[in-house]
Parts: sequence; C-alpha cells; structure tokens
Amino acid sequence: MGFRVGIIGAGTMGQVHSRAWRRMPDIELIGVYDIDATRASRIAADSGVTAFSSFEELVNTVDIVDVCVPTPFHAEYAIFALEADKDVVCEKPMGRTLEECDRMIAAAEASGKTLMPAQVLRFFPEFQSTHDLIRKGAIGAPAVVRTHRGGGFPRGVNNWFADFAQSGGVSLDILIHDFDWLRWTLGDVERVYAKTRHTDGIHEDDYVLATLRFKSGAIAHVEGTWMDAAGYYTSIEAAGDNGLIHYDSRETAPLRVARRRHDSSSGAGIHSESPVSADPYYLELRHFVDCLTAGVAPMITPEDGRAAVAIGLAALESSRIGKSVSL
Amino acid sequence: MSRKNEKDKTLSVRIGILSFAHMHAASYAGSLPHIPGATLVGIADEDRDRATRMATQFGTTAYPSYEALLADVDAVVICSENVHHRRLTELAAKAQKHVLCEKPLATTLEDADAMIAICAENGVKLFTAFPCRFHPAYKRLKAATQEGAIGQIIGANTTNQGQCPGGWFIDKKMSGGGAAIDHTVHVTDLLRDMMGAEPVEVYAELTNGMAHSDYDDCALITITFDNGVFATLDASWSRPKSFWTWGNVKIALTGTEGVASMDMFAQNHVVFSDVAERPSLHNWGDNMDLEMIQAFVDAVAGTQDLNAPVSLATGEDGRAAARVALAAYRAAETGQPVTL
Repeated sequence: MGFRVGIIGAGTMGQVHSRAWRRMPDIELIGVYDIDATRASRIAADSGVTAFSSFEELVNTVDIVDVCVPTPFHAEYAIFALEADKDVVCEKPMGRTLEECDRMIAAAEASGKTLMPAQVLRFFPEFQSTHDLIRKGAIGAPAVVRTHRGGGFPRGVNNWFADFAQSGGVSLDILIHDFDWLRWTLGDVERVYAKTRHTDGIHEDDYVLATLRFKSGAIAHVEGTWMDAAGYYTSIEAAGDNGLIHYDSRETAPLRVARRRHDSSSGAGIHSESPVSADPYYLELRHFVDCLTAGVAPMITPEDGRAAVAIGLAALESSRIGKSVSL
Repeated sequence: MSRKNEKDKTLSVRIGILSFAHMHAASYAGSLPHIPGATLVGIADEDRDRATRMATQFGTTAYPSYEALLADVDAVVICSENVHHRRLTELAAKAQKHVLCEKPLATTLEDADAMIAICAENGVKLFTAFPCRFHPAYKRLKAATQEGAIGQIIGANTTNQGQCPGGWFIDKKMSGGGAAIDHTVHVTDLLRDMMGAEPVEVYAELTNGMAHSDYDDCALITITFDNGVFATLDASWSRPKSFWTWGNVKIALTGTEGVASMDMFAQNHVVFSDVAERPSLHNWGDNMDLEMIQAFVDAVAGTQDLNAPVSLATGEDGRAAARVALAAYRAAETGQPVTL
C-alpha cells in the first residue's frame, strides 16, 4: 500500500523533507504548495513534482500532508488537512500557542486521523542512544542533566526566525528539541525558570539559560543560543545516582577537512562532519509512514508536541515575569 | 618573586595552620616552602593525631592548642569545618593575627559579619581562600573581557561540578549544607571579580538525586547581577566515583560581540594505567594555591602589589559569595527567586 504526500511550505524544512520522501518506494510525492509560488516552483522542479497554487487542491489530492510552514501557520494547515481526512506530520514546534496546539489535537481526535509533531531529535542516533542508555539504567536514576544547542542566527525565509511573534526565539524554536528530548527521557516537567536575552520583538540575537525541574525529581539545565560565534554544536551531560553520560558534538565528529589557503597565513575554513548513513529526517518520516501502515500511533503524540511547546512558552514567560512557572 | 628575595634576610612571615579538616590545607602547607621569607611554624588541630601526622608530613611542629600556635605566628590559615570558621577567626583576631580563611567564609551571614567585625576591631586583615582568582586562565579571561573581546557580556553558563567529598562535608551541622554551599562560592566570586558587579537575585533548584540523603548534591543556581548579566552555576557533586578527575571550574560567556569560555583545569594529560582501575587526568597547569598563599604572605608583610590584576579575596568578598549560596537554599525552599 502506498501513500501520496503533499508538502505545505517550501522553505528549508520543506526541502529537507522532500528529499526524504523521494527516497521512499511506497511514497509518491505529489506536490508542494507555498504562498510564494516562485519558491514552490523551485522546489517542485528540483523534486520533479508539481507546484500547487492552491493548498486546498494539494490537500485533496494526497493521503499525507506534511506541514513545513513557519510555526504560527501550523494550526491552520494541519486542521484543514485533518478535517479533509488526511494524516498529518507537522514541523516543530507544534504551534506558537497552546491554544493552537489544543485545536490541532481536537481536530485530530475528531477526524480519527494521525497527527505527528516532527520532533526529529528522537531520530538522531546520538540523542536516541543517550535516551536508550538512560532508560536502560546506565547511570542509575537520572539526577541532573545538562544540554546545549545553538550557534549563529539562522536566516530563514523572510527572516521569520527573528520575529519572536512567529518563532518564539531560541526558547521555542530550537530548545523545543531539547525540551521534547528531556521530557521523553525524564518524564513530565513540574516547573521552569529561565533567563532569556529577549522575550518578544524582532531580534537576531537570542540567548537562553533555562532550569527545569521534573516530576521525577530530576533537574536539568538547558542552554540555547543564536549568539555563538564559535559555531553550532550540541551536547548532553546526564548524571545519575550510578554514573554519568557525556556527549559533545565537537568531540565526536569523525571527519575533519581543512583546505590550505594561499592568500593568508592564518585560519583556513575547517569543515568537520559526523556522517551517519541513515538520515534522521528520513527515519522520522519513515516511522510516521510505518505507523500508518501498521495502524498504530506514532511514538510522538500530539500531546508530546503540545507539552514541548508548553515548556518553551513557560521559559519565555518565566524570563518575562522573573519568576518560576509551574506547569 | 625576585622582589621577595631581596627581603629574605629581614622578612620572615610566620604562618600557622589552624585545623586540617579541609583537605586544601595540605596544598597550602605544601606551598609555603616554595615562598621565600615565609615559614610554616606549625599546625594545630582538634584532631591531635591529624596534627601530628600533618606536622610530620610537612616538616613542621604539631602544637597542642590553637592558642599556643597563635602565640608563635604572624598569621594563620584556617581550614576547619565550615561552622568553626567564626570561632577560629575570633581566636586569631583577638590574638592580633591576620587570617586567611577557607571557603565558604561562613555558614550564616551573622557569622560572616562577626568575623569581618572582629578582624576590623583588632586591626588584622581577613581574607577568603578563593585561589581560582590566581589561575592564569582566569586572569586571561578577566583581561580579555575587560578589553572588550566579546563586547558587553549578556550571560554566563558556569559549572563547578565535583565528586562528593564525603566526611564532614555531608554533615550539615559541620558544613552548613551540601553541594550548594560547597561549590557556589568559587565561581560566584570569579563572576563578581571579573565583572565588578554584584548579585541581586538568586534562583536555585536543589535536589539530593545522587545520594538520596539529607543534604543537597545537585544544585542548579541562577544568579542575576546588577549589570543585567544572568549567570547559571551548576554546583552539583555529580561526578561519579568512576570519573577521571575530581571536577571542574568552567565559565562560558556570551557577549554582544562574541563568546569566551574558560575550562580552568583543562591542562591535563589523560593517563591510562593498568595499575589504576580507571583512566585519570593529570593536570600540568599552574598551582594557583601557591600564588594565593604568596599573595597572603605579601599582604601580611605589607609588600603586596597593589596594581596586580587580581588580588586576594577579602572577608567582604567571602561574605558576598556565601550570601549567594545561602540565598540558593532559600530560593530552593520557595521555588521562586530570592532578592538580595
């Protein structure tokens, strides 16, 4: 049994997803819709699929709708697709507000169709493996966990990441990954305290230090940045009552290439890489399709997507009011 | 140090160590032979066996009482359990001896204030043992930030994680707390010194998730400074027994124009020995304790370099750092930040 897929949104994630979909033999990538017809045409031409000028038409032509538009537009498209009886995979963060998440959850329930928030970090081998080790008891009961994510500022379509009203800044847009991973690994969050450089407005510089307390009694420190001139990296340190796990992407890249520069005595561009044969985005979308085929719920539920958004919004709220926020 | 050599003939600063309860005493005692013009006169300890053992190890005299030792010295280093800092400082001050007190300065602000007051009344100097100020990596970080290397500092992500030291450190009647009171003060002092700023608000999540006992061993503290900078400090005793070193002191700064990070004890060899049970780190970096003890000897002799880029932490500095640790306990109780 095959599925026909349509992608809404032809930005960075739309392109990443289109590459993954095209590698699946049981998937027919039908087309792409974007409010910017030129952008949709470009990605459609690259993928050999149709650029739709009407998202309604695209939705009605497919089985699966893949929502890859900026955050505040997720609910509108996801709900339209669910109401049209389509299964939906939706980019992270699930929504810009909890109210949007709730409406999406209600639409999924009413339709009986599947809605999976694309928390892709769960399919990154280093994060999956750390999760598995912790859950298997490698460090005993988790006590204090630290994560880092970030680098420079990401310039998206129309620079929408800079607009906190759309992206929610570092707290919502990139730390959503760690919030979901931490919750997946440690359980529900009880309270959040955070300091952020900004809580609203339009900024290309954001920096966040958040402290989470979990219902299990574990605590976590989460750092996120768009201000790291030294470059992007991620790290995890998890200490439990019987051990410690450490991961830092700067230390685990097995490949490093530096090209000699003849015009300067100093610093050539250094490229380091941590290649894995299975693309996490492919694994994520494959999981979604496999669940549809088997008629089971994906490992990432709509409630998981909402819970991660709730943590990110609590971080913003905490920083705004200068108090801890209980969930 | 050539400056000191000239004075060797005339200057001899006589130092005593009151109590070896805190293991840093051994490092301080070991530093003194390397400082021209300074003499370790003796050791006094309520644990008489320990006094004898340490006196033998460091080639000095075990005194039968604190009072007897105080009669023979110009200054003392106090390395007792935290709760005894006040009593021993009062003894020393009344004997007109200068004091370098192990951190945390005190377990209550009342004690810290009393220590500062009695030293002032008796005209003796009171210093807090914050050797990290003297580490060259910190001095470079301080200089770089003051030169504007990363613009205006926005935030600091810091750690002073370690292994649980056990012993009296986990007896709250002796230590005043757990990991938070033990490991909050060093980095708090560095941030104050580096930025010339004062903490105004403290938040903390404390747990006993490592040992599940009656003391905190996991501590995530957030400190807001009066210059607007926010900092977090992981003061947890979260290094397992199998870890390859005791712990760390790390500061990662994010500024408007860049980032800077310091891993104070990164200058290590990794040693894999089939004799040991696990790999270990062997640090080849500078001995910051030696520099701090040198500064203390200079301060007692009145020969300190007033233009040095870093100076000994005073009693007030010790109080300011302890105040943050104490506020962390109050914040953890209420689940909300505490205003200082």
